[in-house]
Amino acid sequence: MSWLRAACARPGQDGDVFDDEADETLPAQREWKNRVERRVREGYRDGVDAGKAAVLQQGFNQGYKEGAEVVVSYGQLRGTLSALLSWCGHQDSGSPWIEPLSDLLDAVGQCEQSTLQRLTAVTPQPHVADLLDSIQDMDLCPSAPAREKSEEESLERSGADLNTDCRQEAGSSGGPHSPGHRTQRGTCPAELSFSWIVEQTASIVEQLGLSSDILQNVERPGN
Amino acid sequence: MNRSPDLFDAIVMAEERYHGEAYQEGYAEGSSLGLTEGRRYGVSQGANVGSEIGCYQGFAFTWKCLLSECTTEKDSKKRRMLDSLLGMMQKFPYADPTYAQLHEDLDRIRGKFKQVCSLLSVQPNFRVGPGGSALSF
Repeated sequence: MSWLRAACARPGQDGDVFDDEADETLPAQREWKNRVERRVREGYRDGVDAGKAAVLQQGFNQGYKEGAEVVVSYGQLRGTLSALLSWCGHQDSGSPWIEPLSDLLDAVGQCEQSTLQRLTAVTPQPHVADLLDSIQDMDLCPSAPAREKSEEESLERSGADLNTDCRQEAGSSGGPHSPGHRTQRGTCPAELSFSWIVEQTASIVEQLGLSSDILQNVERPGN
Repeated sequence: MNRSPDLFDAIVMAEERYHGEAYQEGYAEGSSLGLTEGRRYGVSQGANVGSEIGCYQGFAFTWKCLLSECTTEKDSKKRRMLDSLLGMMQKFPYADPTYAQLHEDLDRIRGKFKQVCSLLSVQPNFRVGPGGSALSF
């Protein structure tokens, strides 16, 4: 039947299916091409699966270690605040410290979430925005990159907003960040906010007349 | 005459060659995808465990400090219990996903933490990390 397909596929010709002059190698070529394409697709798919399977566990192990080591500090701070909260409650159920301690506890949770988001968003591969920056430097397409960068900036912005929330919620007069500003790239706002919460906690610990040793167990994130 | 088997071979093997080349290309792409995908999943699992263990550490350490000047028999029992919990966590390699007894140890620590909470008459209902932890793949 390949002669028929060949004939149908060439409507520009005179339509004579019994054309003796027709190129008989064409259907064979097409069939060959299809077969090769199928094999290439299969090969690629098999390769992707095999490649993934080979490194998935390695990636998991790397990520696991990183996630555990960074987030443990937030847990320590949360545990410390929870202990102080329960202790204050035991001493005096109407303690004025319960509210600020609860607020700080909420703030830690938010900062932990934003840190986690940043950890899962950043990949070891070259970032689209970085590549676009290079393209921009080469002056090839000066107008295109602006839109493409918006995803990264909105991520940064949500991080900055979260940290601003942390500060405001706990009653700080800290001014809002300018969202997505270029100079913020590479800085770590969640960490700033972490140390701010530690400072606030330390001040409450001091005002409660407790030993400042309490905060010694809280490590800085990433240490 | 010597060349003809090679030529024939080349035609028959061409499909396999295309398959193989595409496989190599796919393998490289898959490796990079797999690393990213695995890492992302690992980060969230590691963070769950780190957050939970960190929380127990902070809690136990702080209560130990708070009780350090109390001298009753009951308080020293609380302190011993807190020390035992802290000791368990110190030996626990929570950041090592290849540690075979991660689950068992974590469960023992959770149990100890509940005991500590009941001894301190504290409700262990404060937030201890987002959800439970599924560590295996």
